[in-house]
Amino acid sequence: MTIGELCDALQAEVVSAGDETQKIEGVIVGDLLSHVLGSARENQAWVTIQTHLNVAAVAVLKELPLILLASNRRPQEELAAKCREENVALAVSPLPAYELCLRLGALGIGDVRGS
Amino acid sequence: MASPYLENFVVDENELFSIGEAAAQIKAILKMLGIPSDVIRRASIVAYEAEMNLVIHGGGGRMELEVRPERVKISALDAGPGIPDIEKAMMEGFSTASEKIREMGFGAGMGLPNIKRNSDSLELLSEVGKGTTLRAEILVKQEREG
Repeated sequence: MTIGELCDALQAEVVSAGDETQKIEGVIVGDLLSHVLGSARENQAWVTIQTHLNVAAVAVLKELPLILLASNRRPQEELAAKCREENVALAVSPLPAYELCLRLGALGIGDVRGS
Repeated sequence: MASPYLENFVVDENELFSIGEAAAQIKAILKMLGIPSDVIRRASIVAYEAEMNLVIHGGGGRMELEVRPERVKISALDAGPGIPDIEKAMMEGFSTASEKIREMGFGAGMGLPNIKRNSDSLELLSEVGKGTTLRAEILVKQEREG
């Protein structure tokens, strides 16, 4: 599923569109930046409630093309601006992280460990 | 690459909200040099964590990148407060970061363990009141399996 399709299906509020045609291959959930840095794999969507600029730095470094902010957390303006500049998609969902992940699973964004 | 590729980066202590710039540059350089992607992945983690430590704990400092065909070496040097107990600092979950830093998702005591896990050798020298020097090496495996 592409970023554009995913954001539509989740009815998430898109703050930065990123590359809408990019395919998402799994999900990483976490608010500890070191954890995400150590565990995320390329092309995963990142579900978090962190809203500051460093989120973009980690996403860029780990090549995570989509950041999903859960629980209606609003991104700080610096984060939104950096995501637009780096062409990283950033979207806000009212759903809490767990429910957001259930939706992602229902949409077929599964765990791709080992693939 | 006959002689090693060398590059220096200054990391400002006021960069709290833009940590990762040196790490991003290091990653871009390694890509440009054609380093294998698994080495770049590990080097990026090492660089980001080291940069984060410079900003959070070291009062800023300097990073060095040295690339040879057989290995990537990343160093982080600061003149900060130093680490009183290196063994403790290497333990997963141990952190001296402030509450404010923790709320940002840093300071979970994962930085140095992350660096160790992603490097083939790690040297950490520190003197209280003088500063800290971290040197991490990531080996480039020449023969690829499969």
